[in-house]
Amino acid sequence: MLRFIIKRLLVTIPTILVVITITWGLIRLAPGNFYSGEKRLPPAIEKNIREKYGLDKPWYQQYGRTMWNILRHQDFGTSLNFRGQSVNVIIRRSLPVSAGVGILAYLLALLIGIPVGSIAALKQNSRWDYSSMAVTMLGISIPNFVLGPILVMIFSLSLYWLPPSRWNGFFSSNIILPVVTLSAVYMAYIARLTRAGMLEVLRSDYIRTARAKGLSEKDVVIRHALRGGLMPVVSYTGPALAFLLTGTVVIEKIFALPGLGNYFIQASLNRDEPLVIGIVAFIAITLLLMNLLVDITYAYLDPRVRY
Amino acid sequence: MRNSIPKRLVAPGLLLSLASFFFSCGPGSGRDEYFGRIVPPQANIFRYVTGDEPQSLDPPISLGQPEARIYMALFDGLVEYNPKDLSPIPSLAERWDINQDSSEFTFHLRQNGRWSNGDPIDANDFVYTFRRSVSPELASGNAYLAYYIKYAQAYNEKAVFVRDHATGQYLLAKDFQKDAAPEPLSSKPDAVSAEYPVTAAEAKPDSDTPFHQLMHSPMRLTLPGSEKARNKLLESDSKLKAAVAGKDFVPVKGEDIGVEAVDKYVLRLSLAQPAPFFLGLLAHQLFRLVPRKTIEQYGEHWTDPDHIVTCGPFKLKEWVAYNKLIVQRDPMFWDAANVHLDGIEFYPMADNPSIMNLYKVGEIDAVLNHTVPNAWLEVVRTKKDYMDAKEAAIDYLQINVLHPPMNDVRVRKAFNYAIDKVAWATWRKIVKPLTAFSPEGIFPGYPQPKGDDFNPERARQLLGEAGFPVIKNGDGSYSCPSFPVKDVEYIYNTQESNKAMAEWMQAQWKQNLGITIPLRNMESKTFLAVRTKLEYKGFSRGGWSADYMDPFTFLSLFYTGGDSGTGWQDPKYIAMLDEANRTLDQKKRYELLAKAEKYLIDAQPVIPIDTSSVNWVKKPYVKGMYPNPGSLFPWKFVYIERDRSKWDIGTPSLSD
Repeated sequence: MLRFIIKRLLVTIPTILVVITITWGLIRLAPGNFYSGEKRLPPAIEKNIREKYGLDKPWYQQYGRTMWNILRHQDFGTSLNFRGQSVNVIIRRSLPVSAGVGILAYLLALLIGIPVGSIAALKQNSRWDYSSMAVTMLGISIPNFVLGPILVMIFSLSLYWLPPSRWNGFFSSNIILPVVTLSAVYMAYIARLTRAGMLEVLRSDYIRTARAKGLSEKDVVIRHALRGGLMPVVSYTGPALAFLLTGTVVIEKIFALPGLGNYFIQASLNRDEPLVIGIVAFIAITLLLMNLLVDITYAYLDPRVRY
Repeated sequence: MRNSIPKRLVAPGLLLSLASFFFSCGPGSGRDEYFGRIVPPQANIFRYVTGDEPQSLDPPISLGQPEARIYMALFDGLVEYNPKDLSPIPSLAERWDINQDSSEFTFHLRQNGRWSNGDPIDANDFVYTFRRSVSPELASGNAYLAYYIKYAQAYNEKAVFVRDHATGQYLLAKDFQKDAAPEPLSSKPDAVSAEYPVTAAEAKPDSDTPFHQLMHSPMRLTLPGSEKARNKLLESDSKLKAAVAGKDFVPVKGEDIGVEAVDKYVLRLSLAQPAPFFLGLLAHQLFRLVPRKTIEQYGEHWTDPDHIVTCGPFKLKEWVAYNKLIVQRDPMFWDAANVHLDGIEFYPMADNPSIMNLYKVGEIDAVLNHTVPNAWLEVVRTKKDYMDAKEAAIDYLQINVLHPPMNDVRVRKAFNYAIDKVAWATWRKIVKPLTAFSPEGIFPGYPQPKGDDFNPERARQLLGEAGFPVIKNGDGSYSCPSFPVKDVEYIYNTQESNKAMAEWMQAQWKQNLGITIPLRNMESKTFLAVRTKLEYKGFSRGGWSADYMDPFTFLSLFYTGGDSGTGWQDPKYIAMLDEANRTLDQKKRYELLAKAEKYLIDAQPVIPIDTSSVNWVKKPYVKGMYPNPGSLFPWKFVYIERDRSKWDIGTPSLSD
């Protein structure tokens, strides 16, 4: 197990370097510069800016400098758009917001999705099953940029119960709408995955054995069926969490949250090279680690899986 | 099973009907006088959305209006904008003298100016600020606004003077320029006393200094600093090459630019040319005062909340990125007694519907310009908190004039004639049709020329003359089979309003000329790159808002060749602008500028479309905030009125 983990971690490093290099190249290929705006700059001023940020150097020097700083100092440099602000600091500052909202949304999704899916599987083809699956289908099909404004319209603009946007820390009512909006689609997926997983497991031999042993239905479901039935949810959790942790552009935009996703989209639109590279590298690392975590969880949940 | 089918639809059906119920009485409800809740904030703190997260708190760095409004809270300048019309009013400068041809400005600073840390402000702070703003090392994108100051452009461009090693004399520009403009008074060797008669307010004339005499000598010659560019220039000019041979090249330094602290409270600016509009430019963020000591101590991090020292009516209290930027009244401010608010909370937001929602529930008191989405206008513009004044900004189409068929002025004119701008303005609701290149009704006394009105008949005739006859079909429609549609396109950056405009123009041309111009939308930065490099064919969306309140801010777009994104340049046009700016009489100057503008629209490198409107909302209890043409608000005038009877009903008047 330990060897497996170490091996996987070692593979991560070259992967990240490749990701950074590709990102670096892609930004260069994109037309436009971080300083280009509606008002075109006089050539002399453009030259001053290029010199100040080392853009007048040959590409291999620029690439070398970027890579050296990342490898040697774990420093992604300073943002070009947000002058003088360190990329590392920006990530450190905005990550807790994104990650916090993401985790809360996912917990909410698990909390509701798993029971709903389980009950739907246990009462297959009942009214409960049909109506819950219809609602989850709706949850999957309605994109969050539609759901968010609808919730805002109901709970903020009409009822004045909840603030429509902005961030006020985790312990304020501002957090409710973004978390609910964000969790909807995951809730729906998890419910459906749980239902499918449970249905398969409930028909398997070991459940029949458990029942034959005379275990109560509660024990059968919770101790045996759920454990196997949740396997699809676990494999879904890895990429989903990686995505949620690093922020979601739409939610952060609609609800004006100071998260990583907001920075990511702005950085790309602004051609803010250091910030884009920093965030992409961070997302890549998170994704790889999450997948590793999923594989480890597999081994724990399913005795047949061994590394 | 059968009866379970309808029940499966119960939940989604319920949700949908619930949603549609709320939609129908959401922002669409037309019953209320104002848009949303009107509850003045408990504290004497104004809550505002000025746009997206500020790029920097260093005034010369950010080019945008959102930052400009934050700088106006934190930093003061020689002058401040008049809250109604943005004309310059005294601020750190109590009064000023302007010489006869507007080429030299002498400012008398107030003696009670202080930084937020209590340090006094004097003329040397301005000298430092101006030198820093144009320094090539700072690399401000706005530096060109200071190019009017003598040698500022040369300094910013890292140019060099040419000095004779033996005599110490510098080569002069006038000796090497063909048909050079006459030197401004600021470059003529006259004594100050002769220039400025002593006024009642001062006991003696401002002292003449060696630096002043230096400024009052003919302009020195400057050459490019980089050897490559310089040699290229010298190769093309043998007379220059001979004169330069064996001479020293002396880099132009910050100390050389025409900014001088005559004494502790007198600042003198010498310009390279007459610039009557220059005073209005000095409230711009590029010229707002920055603290030397703090900058020298902390470098780029001087704007960190722990370090920053400011000089405006407010000082920084808290800055949480993408969340809030809070300023509080600064007791050190020279006019603190007249600052009404205890503080301002700026919320960085970019999504217009989200901003409007926040406004509707009453969590913010006003929003930035252009925030009301198109689809909401129908409702919001009828409310009494909607601001609909004209803006010093225009929408227009740029034409790449370098390629056929658009290199033919008749073709360009035809496309202009074929657009019904009045109908466009009616449909767009909040703009005014425009036929010239400066916004209409913004500059008082400016005799704006009139361009061509909608005339489809004339359009078809012109196209025919250019070799593309328009044929009338049996069903009354037109077609123009010989027009090379493949060589023309309409590009715009992806945005709802740009798309609407593109489709409208496309429909007009289709209807009136029988030509369908293909549309191409692009991501914003890509669009800008394509337009700047003239890599497009035909038309591209253009927009411009004023840097200062003078028509020249629009007309100067074509002052240097190619900057406009059209490829059109004309020495005659430039000469006309120069002549206008040399003219001392404001009325005469405006007439000459108008003549130049007429010349420009006759050449038709652009198709003017409309004058924008400010398009924002503020709660009626917010007073002292006016829908001025630049949407810039001197915050010291803004206050929250608790007395309902004094609230603004409708757009506050700009004329009182």
